[in-house]
Amino acid sequence: MWTQPGENEMTDTTSAVAARIQQEVLAQGSGSVGLLENAPAAVALTDVAVDFGSTHAVRRVTFPLVANRVTALVGPSGCGKTTVLRAINRMHDRSGGKVTGSIRLGDLEIYGRDAQPELIRSRIGMVFQRPNPFPTMSILDNVTSGLRFNGIRNKQVLKDAAESALQSAALWDTVKDRLDQPAVRLSGGQQQRLCIARALAVEPEVLLMDEPCSALDPISTSAIEETIVELASEVTIALVTHNMFQATRCADLTAVFLLDADDHIGELVEYGSTQQIFSAPSDSRTEQYVTGQVS
Amino acid sequence: MSTDLVETPSPSGKDASYYERRALIQASARGTLKRRRTVALAIRILFGFCMVLVLVPLIFLISYVTKRGVGALSVAFFTHTPTPEGIPGGGISNAIIGSLLINGLALVIAMPIGLLIALFLIERRGPIPNAIRFGADVLSGLPSILIGLFAYAVIVTHTGHYSAYSASAALAVLMLPIMIRGDEEAMRTVPNELWEAGLALGARQSRVVRSVVVRGSIPGLVTANLLALARAVGETAPLLFTAVGSQLFSLSFNQPMNAIPIVIYQDGTTAFKDLQQDAWGAAFVLMVGVLILSIIGRLFAARLTRKSR
Amino acid sequence: MQTKEGSPRQLLEQRRSSLSSGRGYAGLLWLAAGIFVVILAAIIEGIVSQSTMAWGHFGLGFLWSTAWNESTNTFGAGQFIIGTLTVTGIAMLIAVPVGLATAAFLTEMCPRRIATPLGVAIDLIAAVPSIVVGLWGLYVLQPVFLRDVEPFMKKIPVIDFAFKGNAEGASYFLAGFVLSIMIVPTMVALSRTALAGVGNTDREAAFALGATPWQVIRKVVVPGANSGLLAAGTLALGRAVGETIAITLLIGNSLTLGHPFSLLNPGATLGSVIVLNFGESQPGTLLRSTLLALAVVLLAMTLIVNIGGRLIVRKNLLFRLP
Repeated sequence: MWTQPGENEMTDTTSAVAARIQQEVLAQGSGSVGLLENAPAAVALTDVAVDFGSTHAVRRVTFPLVANRVTALVGPSGCGKTTVLRAINRMHDRSGGKVTGSIRLGDLEIYGRDAQPELIRSRIGMVFQRPNPFPTMSILDNVTSGLRFNGIRNKQVLKDAAESALQSAALWDTVKDRLDQPAVRLSGGQQQRLCIARALAVEPEVLLMDEPCSALDPISTSAIEETIVELASEVTIALVTHNMFQATRCADLTAVFLLDADDHIGELVEYGSTQQIFSAPSDSRTEQYVTGQVS
Repeated sequence: MSTDLVETPSPSGKDASYYERRALIQASARGTLKRRRTVALAIRILFGFCMVLVLVPLIFLISYVTKRGVGALSVAFFTHTPTPEGIPGGGISNAIIGSLLINGLALVIAMPIGLLIALFLIERRGPIPNAIRFGADVLSGLPSILIGLFAYAVIVTHTGHYSAYSASAALAVLMLPIMIRGDEEAMRTVPNELWEAGLALGARQSRVVRSVVVRGSIPGLVTANLLALARAVGETAPLLFTAVGSQLFSLSFNQPMNAIPIVIYQDGTTAFKDLQQDAWGAAFVLMVGVLILSIIGRLFAARLTRKSR
Repeated sequence: MQTKEGSPRQLLEQRRSSLSSGRGYAGLLWLAAGIFVVILAAIIEGIVSQSTMAWGHFGLGFLWSTAWNESTNTFGAGQFIIGTLTVTGIAMLIAVPVGLATAAFLTEMCPRRIATPLGVAIDLIAAVPSIVVGLWGLYVLQPVFLRDVEPFMKKIPVIDFAFKGNAEGASYFLAGFVLSIMIVPTMVALSRTALAGVGNTDREAAFALGATPWQVIRKVVVPGANSGLLAAGTLALGRAVGETIAITLLIGNSLTLGHPFSLLNPGATLGSVIVLNFGESQPGTLLRSTLLALAVVLLAMTLIVNIGGRLIVRKNLLFRLP
């Protein structure tokens, strides 16, 4: 189905592979298999399941996060989308969730024995549902906080990184003259951009976004959706959303999560290009969800 | 170990420094990780040690008091009045009765006043209730010796003699702020439906409204009063200026009266072994009593929070 | 009168009218409030009024004089103020860091199943009556301090200047140490509340950036709990200043300051001197009035700590609002 970038693929074939992806995205009705063939995956999940004590939250999750693409995780609430997302950057370590299966970041097995959670989290960033800038820090300190946690002290490096990140998050012009002001003075949409910038400042390879617009008004939402699409060229993005239309607006690829009818455990039902999922789904359950028969 | 990804050229055109920076960040993250983790672990051990430090005195204290106190307990201990040192067979019966009487009267005085003031704070808004709440907070922070001196100055001086009821007055004043705060909190956490149901019954029947709410917050009220009692029972300083203790068995509030904390204080600081024994027996009884009251109070409080969810 | 539930305005008017129709009841509430105010006033008046003789005799210089001579009727408050400050200072120096560390451990580094019972156990320390703690300190800690701890303290390089002279048993240090045991539970409980009040999403954001638990505590949780921690310290301080009977058992009854000043000296605090000398003084004498003047000083100190602490906390809170 999809391939991991091996060492020999990395150099001259880069642009060739990129061109291939571009072709396939543009091709209409190419079907899920065609798009995914030979597309490099930043993160590969294989047969992932998450349990909390005796409660099974989600299982049988197998899909990739294709590099430099936005992958949407959609489905009704409680089907495990956020649980899977948080498994990717090992946030369940803190809350007692047990993750089985394989999640690979490039060559690295995220739950492997040698894996260091702090390093993984510096390579896989996260933006949360409600904007959560650190309330006691200024805007600049917020953006550079991740860098400082990871040991970077050089003021110039911090400043440059902050500017670059704020530019990517489309917030630089708004705040460039008031970097020292408390972060909490920004509006909701601005705060979320700040959180995005904060996550980007660490230059992660992957950015996990957990319903980033659900606490925002429609105007901020569409602005951030624009930013998400632009960001894909820098980072691989996984976007959890309960809004199907957001998926069609932002995401190239979509993974659909639903509750198993019998035991009410969440599982991945279908994965493919967004276009295919929403126009010609392969699984009947997907079709039911997409056409609104399942809430 | 390959960690780089296949990147499509970035449209913002900042490729070179971008990847440099990423490499720099990862190098820094990796390089500092060992130190950061070691520090985190060291702190965890240090702070855990602090916690053990905090618990150790409690364990030593309870075990020592138990060890020395249990040995003093006997039927005579509970039923006889004190005897002078050297003469066996003494007990602290008058102190036990004294504590019960003094605290009982204090409770009887303080409970209704505390409840009424709490109701006042709930019903009204504005500077006066705020001032009273502030006054209650200040009062709760006053050293108990000052409250004992107050009772001395106001009651003992004017009546000309020490008495048990001056002790009750002092303890009642001591209990009041705890009761006020606890009662107010208990009634505030009563769910809104109770308030609205009471109002719907007819605004005119104000007493009905109050009794509905008061009845609904009884667990919280019990907690507040139990904790106030637990605090007052253990106080020594106020008693030293009011009831001052006595060797005699007395049920009269108008005279000095013995009490358990007084026995502990007076007998514990003598050089006589048998009196010291009495002090430890009394200390054990007091400690157990206060702990039981506190635990029951907490259980009620836990039931209250569970109910209101 | 309408009794239907309706708009909030109707409810408000109903409440107002309900109060006036229960006039006896409302009067009762006002009476209770009035009684409370009278009690507060009586406390202050009762103590102050019996101290006027001493104030008149010594004037404000009473506060820094450290004299104490019964035959010449010269008394001072200075040594007791110093005693109170010393004992309180020792207690805070020990209890604040240890209490904070314990609270941080319980909220951030400990699974909740274990943290909750541990927290309850710590609260139980606070429930033990101070006379019992004092007596235990006297019988158990005093010999240990006399024999081992205090000689040991003399050997520690940087702070040994404070531990001159010989250990005699009762001392500022012993009293301060036991006092710290008594106020630590307050510090722990309130600090836990403050730390737990920091939203979990802030912590998660920090972890998601690759921070270690200590980094999260240092950079996110503690700054966020700032005002609550300040309040915790203030309340612990208030409790320390207000504690009397345990200190009385452990500090000795030295009515003057020893030369040179050492933490190993016996001493007295404002509370302990009153407890130990009140019975021996006769009503109407200068000595009696002096003791009550010391009570006034103690009252003033308590009020300053409590009210001042409250103001500082409020100010701190205000500054943090955007």
